Amino acid sequence: MISPVRIVFEEDGKMFALRRYSEALEDFSGDLLKKRSVDLKPTEKLSLFPYGPSAGGLTESIYFSLLTSGERIEAMNYDTSFKDRKISVSGNDIPKAVLLMERINGIHSASYSSLFCDLIERSSGIEVSQEIMDLRILMMEMERISHHLFVAGRLSGGASQNIGSMNIYLLREELLRIIGKTFGHRYFFGINKPGGTGREIDVSNIYEKLESIVKEYTEIYRTLMDSRIFIDRTDSTAIIRDEISAGPVLRGFGKNMDGRSQHRYYNKLNVRISTVDSGDSLARYVVRSEEIFSSWEIIKKILERNSRFKIMEEVKMDKIQGTGEKISGYMETPSGDLSMIVSVRSGKISFFKYSSPSLWNLRVFADAMKGNNFADFYFGLESLGLCVSETGDIR
Amino acid sequence: MKAWFLRSLKKGIVTSSFPSGKNEALSPWATLPMRDMSGEVDCPVDAIQDDRVDSGKCISCGICFPQFKPSMQIPQINMVRVEKSLSKSMKLYLFDSGTCGACNLEIMALNSPQYDMNRLGLSFTNTPRQADAIMITGVLTEGMIAPLKAAIDSMASPKIVFAVGACAISGGLMGKSISEITGLDVQVPGCPPDPFVIVAAIEKARGRI
Ligand code: SF4
Ligand code: SF4
Repeated sequence: MISPVRIVFEEDGKMFALRRYSEALEDFSGDLLKKRSVDLKPTEKLSLFPYGPSAGGLTESIYFSLLTSGERIEAMNYDTSFKDRKISVSGNDIPKAVLLMERINGIHSASYSSLFCDLIERSSGIEVSQEIMDLRILMMEMERISHHLFVAGRLSGGASQNIGSMNIYLLREELLRIIGKTFGHRYFFGINKPGGTGREIDVSNIYEKLESIVKEYTEIYRTLMDSRIFIDRTDSTAIIRDEISAGPVLRGFGKNMDGRSQHRYYNKLNVRISTVDSGDSLARYVVRSEEIFSSWEIIKKILERNSRFKIMEEVKMDKIQGTGEKISGYMETPSGDLSMIVSVRSGKISFFKYSSPSLWNLRVFADAMKGNNFADFYFGLESLGLCVSETGDIR
Repeated sequence: MKAWFLRSLKKGIVTSSFPSGKNEALSPWATLPMRDMSGEVDCPVDAIQDDRVDSGKCISCGICFPQFKPSMQIPQINMVRVEKSLSKSMKLYLFDSGTCGACNLEIMALNSPQYDMNRLGLSFTNTPRQADAIMITGVLTEGMIAPLKAAIDSMASPKIVFAVGACAISGGLMGKSISEITGLDVQVPGCPPDPFVIVAAIEKARGRI
């Protein structure tokens, strides 16, 4: 299968596209994926159930409407625009654009800012050291574990596994405290800069603490997988088998695809890709859990060869003028592939486009909910690990 | 069940005694930066005036380092009133008006065993109708103005409006403050605020510290 197109744009009357896991723009002449639109008409037997944009149970503001007979979902729509922050990245200087990157999706800020800095560096011919790439990988893999723990906590809580859920949240908080203490910020804000890092980071004493978190999660994972209730509630719910999906959703129906496996940064790190065939909420949970273990394998290799990341010889951001050439790339965030195109001219961002994994996963989820039991909506939603913030209007 | 029980025994007590005891952790840049050495600083949100940092504006970016360093103290909580009638029990409603997601998760972290919000008589509620406090996060966005007004109007009195995070308090880096449509009873600084800072703000607003 050809990789799906993630970004399309028009320039001088010509269409260009960036595909999933690609760093190269290509000419585009195919049909554009149509905006999803489903007509939801209530009837005597089917009623419309609105959920959101603000409601308990939602971590971020989003609006869902479900056409349902009470038990069965017949169709579903969603609207992410309520909390649109309308962020304009174009026109900003590079330091401010980096800060914006961290805040498009704050809980995946390491992935966003690492990709953005990488594009700025490539656009200006700045070569970063292996050490800086290692720092970025370390942050992104810790971010992945933190996110997967959060999703696992939500999913197990929803499946009445409250003790399991609390145990997972406990581990996540331990991890966030390690991140806060080591990196100065629990969500890695302020670390990434084009060409280096803004802070000196000492990682010499985090190995044992991280190892113990992963070991404890292994026990929790085993206990949850032994729970009939947990399996029953998540098995066969919200089955997704759509190739345009991203990350754990894609790997949850057997696709052996992960942007890290072919990315320059992860060269020689032998990223282990985990897949499960069934495509349901349980499969996505298993994929995430296995990714916690494979992220730890990567982190171990990084920590074995680094104990301290020094502030790199500062690249003066105001010296980066840019040529206006468009540079494109991708990163595998905890939710899936993030694609981005950037150009810099006269020291300012002159072009910016990106495609977030949550956008694709939300779309396939909405299609997949048809025929599901109403009560399964929650498990399906939580298993996606959706970040509404990254689906917003950001130019 | 047995496995969970054994795990809990092995883990021991993990819950903080804060605010009566000390806070076990504090994320450095969630505390207010303090001048440490001379030199010009180009703060992206103009939070620094005469060497003092405006806690409601600071976005915890660390750009002022090394001239400024994190104070490692729980920042001053700005508030207009104390609501002692909620000191025994308080229900919180989380309202995202336009976040990056991080502030929301820091509030939700209060549910984790390290903070165990129930010990303080705190719980989350699914509807503003039953809430004593609304925890508003994020910048003011057009689409959330009507839901926010409706949520605040539907709350019974006494009610407390918390603005959690730089976005909600001042608009932060990329938007407008929610103060454009509602009064702010309590401001919880940080981008995002550390969960211990959120606990401190809640306890102060109820007159418990
Ligand atoms: S941390 Fe950032 S926002 Fe806060 S005072 Fe320093 S430079 Fe300004
Ligand atoms: S204050 Fe900071 S962490 Fe909170 S929503 Fe705004 S950008 Fe995100």
